[in-house]
Amino acid sequence: MGLFSFDGGKKESQPPNTRSQRKLCWESRDAFFQCLDKADILDAMDPKNSKSIKSHCKVENEKFEENCAHSWIKYFKEKRVIDFKREQTIKRIEQEAKQRERNQ
Amino acid sequence: MLKLSRSANLRLVQLPAARLSGNGAKLLTQRGFFTVTRLWQSNGKKPLSRVPVGGTPIKDNGKVREGSIEFSTGKAIALFLAVGGALSYFFNREKRRLETQKEAEANRGYGKPSLGGPFHLEDMYGNEFTEKNLLGKFSIIYFGFSNCPDICPDELDKLGLWLNTLSSKYGITLQPLFITCDPARDSPAVLKEYLSDFHPSILGLTGTFDEVKNACKKYRVYFSTPPNVKPGQDYLVDHSIFFYLMDPEGQFVDALGRNYDEKTGVDKIVEHVKSYVPAEQRAKQKEAWYSFLFK
Repeated sequence: MGLFSFDGGKKESQPPNTRSQRKLCWESRDAFFQCLDKADILDAMDPKNSKSIKSHCKVENEKFEENCAHSWIKYFKEKRVIDFKREQTIKRIEQEAKQRERNQ
Repeated sequence: MLKLSRSANLRLVQLPAARLSGNGAKLLTQRGFFTVTRLWQSNGKKPLSRVPVGGTPIKDNGKVREGSIEFSTGKAIALFLAVGGALSYFFNREKRRLETQKEAEANRGYGKPSLGGPFHLEDMYGNEFTEKNLLGKFSIIYFGFSNCPDICPDELDKLGLWLNTLSSKYGITLQPLFITCDPARDSPAVLKEYLSDFHPSILGLTGTFDEVKNACKKYRVYFSTPPNVKPGQDYLVDHSIFFYLMDPEGQFVDALGRNYDEKTGVDKIVEHVKSYVPAEQRAKQKEAWYSFLFK
């Protein structure tokens, strides 16, 4: 039981949510996501991408998981996919609009 | 004897004596029988009836007239633009103010208010806070929670900017309130620490789960805690993202969503504060002869 006291202590003594902590989390998220962009990975939660993430973004991922709460990590990863799809939709709509203008 | 030189430009004009009588004839006799009129070549073809008898040609005063007209026109145009501009500004401003009043009135609702109402919470200093604490000043309310990943902090930073601009530029003071959707974790102490990172005047409010639920219901705020959360487990709370602007009578006048930025939000709030009319006066307006303006 003594072997697990460190983890327990870490969780219990989790510091409150402050601006500096959020900044730390956001920065490590940004670094991790930039690495994903370079590795051409979109969905960090997809099991298919876990090997690729390990080989390309191991350090950034560990930092991200260290500096952010678990629920935040999940939220940011999901948001990344949603934001990307929304951007794609907007681009498609804009292209269709331009096409329509050109045809007229 | 008259010396006739430059004969081309001179002619003798004989007036028939028989037509003149009385003083006319006498006058003519005194001046002489003949009158000499100088005619220029260009006027040679003019009918005699149009040729002036005696005197000198009238000088052209066109320049004077032109100057006068020019001066008058410029002045008139300037006056027109000044008056027109002033009237236009006045009517546009009044129109905008009336529109804002109508908007606020629609949001207040008739009889039962569409948003707001009685609630009972505890502030971050441990004091009781109810809808009565909204009276006497404009308030702006945000629903969030301290464990919020990114939207709440962004919105609270925006609120801080609004409050600073409203105070420094317009002399407007609001009561900013942060009501938590996560009362289980957001105790008064937690809220106090969390909100200290934002504007110092933001007051955090919490309470029992039922009290918070009631407040959220009154303001039609959606919030949802994930099911099957184990004690100590980390979780996020889904919730609506709006700032609710309440008037000094504690009535809802507007909701500002994420589309309002640092500038447009300030403009909107200023609009409402400046066009605010107390309920008693609003009632009088509705009964006055000019009440059609407010309907």
